[in-house]
Formats: sequence, structure tokens, C-alpha cells
Amino acid sequence: MSETVIRTENLVHVYPRGEVKALKGVNLEIKKDDVVSIIGQNGSGKTTLVRHFNGLLKPTSGKVYLFDEDTEGQSVAEMSRRCGYVFQNPNHQIFTTKVIEELEVGPRNFNFTAAEMKESIERVVELMDLKDILEQHPMTLDYTTKKIVTIASVLAFKPEVLILDEPTGGLDEVGRQMLTRIINMMHDEGHTVIMISHDMDYVAENSSRVIVMCQGEVLDDNVPEKIFLNSEVLEKAQVEPPQITQLDLFLSAGKNEETILSVEKFINKYNAKRGGNN
Amino acid sequence: MANPIIEVKNYSYKYDGSDVIVLKDLSFTINEGDFVGIVGCNKAGKSTLCKSLVGILPFVAGGSWSGEIIVDGKSLNETRGSGVTDVIGIVFQDAESQFTQQTVEDEIAFAMCNFGYSRELMIERVKFAAEACGLSSMYDRSPYHLSGGQQQRLAVASILALQPRVIILDESTSQLDPIGRDEVFRLVRELHRQGKTIIMVDHNIEMLAEYADKILVLHEGELVAYDESHKVFTNKELLNRHSVRVPQVTDAALGLKETYTGNSGTPITLKEAEEYFAGLKGRGDQHE
Ligand SMILES: Nc1ncnc2c1ncn2[C@@H]1O[C@H](COP(=O)(O)OP(=O)(O)OP(=O)(O)O)[C@@H](O)[C@H]1O
Ligand SMILES: [Mg+2]
Repeated sequence: MSETVIRTENLVHVYPRGEVKALKGVNLEIKKDDVVSIIGQNGSGKTTLVRHFNGLLKPTSGKVYLFDEDTEGQSVAEMSRRCGYVFQNPNHQIFTTKVIEELEVGPRNFNFTAAEMKESIERVVELMDLKDILEQHPMTLDYTTKKIVTIASVLAFKPEVLILDEPTGGLDEVGRQMLTRIINMMHDEGHTVIMISHDMDYVAENSSRVIVMCQGEVLDDNVPEKIFLNSEVLEKAQVEPPQITQLDLFLSAGKNEETILSVEKFINKYNAKRGGNN
Repeated sequence: MANPIIEVKNYSYKYDGSDVIVLKDLSFTINEGDFVGIVGCNKAGKSTLCKSLVGILPFVAGGSWSGEIIVDGKSLNETRGSGVTDVIGIVFQDAESQFTQQTVEDEIAFAMCNFGYSRELMIERVKFAAEACGLSSMYDRSPYHLSGGQQQRLAVASILALQPRVIILDESTSQLDPIGRDEVFRLVRELHRQGKTIIMVDHNIEMLAEYADKILVLHEGELVAYDESHKVFTNKELLNRHSVRVPQVTDAALGLKETYTGNSGTPITLKEAEEYFAGLKGRGDQHE
């Protein structure tokens, strides 16, 4: 059994302005080897939830434990050292005047030695193909490139838990594949990955666990194969399965042996079965 | 007769302080009433093109260009882009960072204020757009205290309220939950049916395949295809070469081509796929 990295106990968050009750008592455990996606409708509390993991928000009531330590009284710096958060909107995260400086902020704040910093930054520059834009002002970059820079700047300080808030927004196929490589690499190196996404194709193929949020509560928490079969939960949470899953559900009229979450699996299933029948 | 609403003629564009030519000698026409999807990988120039169609580039934000863009018969080179907003409404890719008003209601109404609409009409339009975008219960909230997706809904609502003749949405559904995204697409289709011209940049290929009539493929600033959706989305080789996916159901049909010939043409939407694959119904579940 993998170790617990984050645990919440009856976590409630009420935004003071407008008294919005964004989280209504969330109980969750995130394990070290999870690659977990959080899905659910706009305003269901996904961002609010993960912002408690790096201390940007504090519970109105309830508890958040990081690596079994109560986070009450811990600073944002302490918490985000371990839980690196990539903002939903890159414009809210970027605050230096050069891409290279943006990458250096984390390692410097978290006291990397010069050698460690160099090694780590070289790695993300290579990984995310940033070498041509290092001297540019981040705010002059297009939205997608900004998003990539913000991901890189969090990777640069190697947090134990990587939290990505809507990482695929605006990413093309190449960007999505790059993201997948990063997620896999982080996972293989023993980091925990938490991502929030509305991109069901991506979630279906790239998570080991899916948490469904609805109006400030956890509606379901399971492997993607189970989640995308549960039409009642999906409807309530305003999401729908990937197109290929919907097609398979239609063809098999609900009598599925296995949930099809990718085109590749679909092809295998119908190829093999036809072969067997002929 | 098709009435050209946007004509792009040998248009090239380069940002100030950079040597890269971002758009290269583009020529194409969008007719009034078209529903055009624009696809292409990052850096293809999609957002630059959108901003050029409304004259923000080069006339407001600078840069150098050649060629011309004609909107509703007027060359932007002559008007320096003024007057375009009477015809085209655009939702920028990062619209949610550009709110100016204190409440959701005012933000939706704001764009309309410049057009001298009557108060009744404004109230009606705000209501229509807010309902369509699921914001009815949030009139008095501050735009800055909304979730990311709610902010994106707000940006879309303020343009939908305006109901201009041409609506450009630059990746305006990327942060919407899937049902909210369907709602925006359905609403846009409704406006299209009423005769509006729609231009959508979106990475959600499945949605574009279902809704757009024509697809324009950009790659590194060049126009590599501009044709009927069906033709473009079944051309996997062309799209993949330019780092664009085909819809999942199309990919499945092409992948099974050797062993299965469908009941109809290669599908690009779920509905078409259900028809196409009807011969496999029930087959997948039989044990060998
Ligand atoms: N700064 C804020 N002040 C007041 N209310 C807020 C604030 N930020 C978010 N909210 C509200 O809290 C609730 C949860 O928002 P949250 O941002 O956590 O949603 P989300 O699930 O991340 O949504 P999305 O998919 O749109 O990003 C919503 O009702 C939202 O309007
Ligand atoms: Mg969010």
C-alpha cells in the first residue's frame, strides 16, 4: 500500500465575499503513487480544493494533512515546496520579467545550491523545449507558451506533489504529448500527480484515479474505467465520457466486458472480436 | 449568391521586435452565414489571425504587415480597423483576464453600452446570454470572484449578448465543463441558424466536427487546407502531418478499415459513427 501524501478531514471553505460555500466537508486521501484527476462542473470547488494543498487557501473549518503533518500554521512557502501548484490562469502565476528568472524563482526560494539549480533548470529547459525563449518577457508570450512556462517553473523545484490546474487548456497535440511525458516521468520518479481537467479524453487515458466533484462535495472517487460507466454521476457532475467510450457503449448496449477509454483499445476490441467471430 | 463578409488577401504579419513571419501570405474568404472552425498546432498563428480579422493587429497593437483584410466590403487598411466592432464580436483566448466591470451583470451589458441599445433590449439580451451561459444566479458577483470556467462563461456571454453579425471565439470553451461546452456550441449553432457568421478556434476536434461546416487548417502561418469539414477531418494524413488529431470516431473507423467496411461514409461525428458501425452492434461482446 502506498503512503498517504495528502489527507483532508471535513474540509470546508467559505469565501468571505458573497459567502460562497465552495467546499462542504471534503474527506479525501491522496496516495503517493496516484496520478489523480479531479473533474466536475465549473464552480464545483476543484481549484478551491487544491489550493488548500499548497496553503494558498486556509480551511474555514476542517483539516488538511500533508505527509501526515497538520498544516495548520504552516506557511505557503513550506507547503508549496512540497506541493507545487501550477495555476489555472498563467497570468496569475507569472511575475518576473524573463522566462529564465521565472524558472529560477522556485529553486532559489527553496535554497537549491547553484549546481542543483543549474542541473534542474537545464533539465526542464530540455524537457519543455524552452531554450529559445529564455530571455523573453513571459508576458509577451502567447497564452499556451505562458502555460508551458508556468508548468516548467514548478517542475524546476521538483515538488513531491505536482498539482496541475487545467494543464491541457490551449495545448495542441504536441503539447499534450509533452505533458503526458512529464506526468509519466514524474510518476516514475516517485512524485504524486494531481490534475484538474475538463478534457475527458485526456483524463481517461492519463489517470489512475478520478475524483468527481459536485457543488463542493466529492461525488465519486474511482478508477477511470468505473467512473466513465457511471452515467448518473457523470450527468450530475456535468461531464460526459470521451467520444470513443460513448460509441462503444452504444455498440455494446451496456453489456461491456471492459470500459473502452481510448481509440487504440476500441480498435483492438472490435478487431479481435470480429476475427474471433469470422 | 454568397456574400463575402471577410476577405483576406495575401495577408502577412510579423510582430514588432521579432523576425518571425507569423502569418504568411494568407488568402481566403469567409461568407456571411458560414460556420468556420480554425485548427492548427500551437504557434500556427490562430490567435494572431483572429486579432488581425478585427484590426487589433496591426492597427492597435502594432507590428508590420502586407496585403489586406476586407470586412463587410471595407478595407481595414483604409479604415485602420475602425468600425469593425460594429460587424465582428470577438472573445479573446485570455478574455477572463480582461474584465472591466464590478458585477457579472454590468460586465455582460458593458459591450452593448457602446451601441446605443434601448434599456429594455439590453435587459433582455443580458438575461438571454446569462441564462445561456449558466450565470443567471450570479448577477451581483464580481467577475474576479468567479471560478476560471465561470469567468470564461462570462466572457462568452458578453459577446453573445451583443449578437454581432460575426462572432469569433478564440479557444473560448477550453475551461468549460463538458456540458457547459456543449451548451455554448449549441447556442452558437442557434445563432448561426439565425444567419450569424461563426468563426471558432478550438482544440476540441470532436466538437468542431459536429458543428462547423468548414475547417481552416493553419500551420506555421500558412493556410494548408480550407474546405468542408468532412473532407478535412477524414484526411488523417494531412492533419497528423500538421499535428492535428482527427475525431476519435474517425480515427476508429480508419483504424478498422482493413477488417470493417461501414454502412456509410467515414464518420466524423458520434451520430454518423453509430450508423457507420451499426454492423458491429452487439458483436464486440460475444465471447470467442
Ligand atoms: N475568490 C473568490 N471569491 C468568492 N467566490 C469564489 C472565489 N473563487 C471561486 N469562488 C466560488 O467558489 C466556488 C468554487 O470555485 P472553484 O474555483 O473552486 O471552482 P472550480 O471547480 O475550480 O471551477 P472551474 O472548473 O470553473 O475552474 C464557485 O461557486 C466560485 O464562484
Ligand atoms: Mg478551477
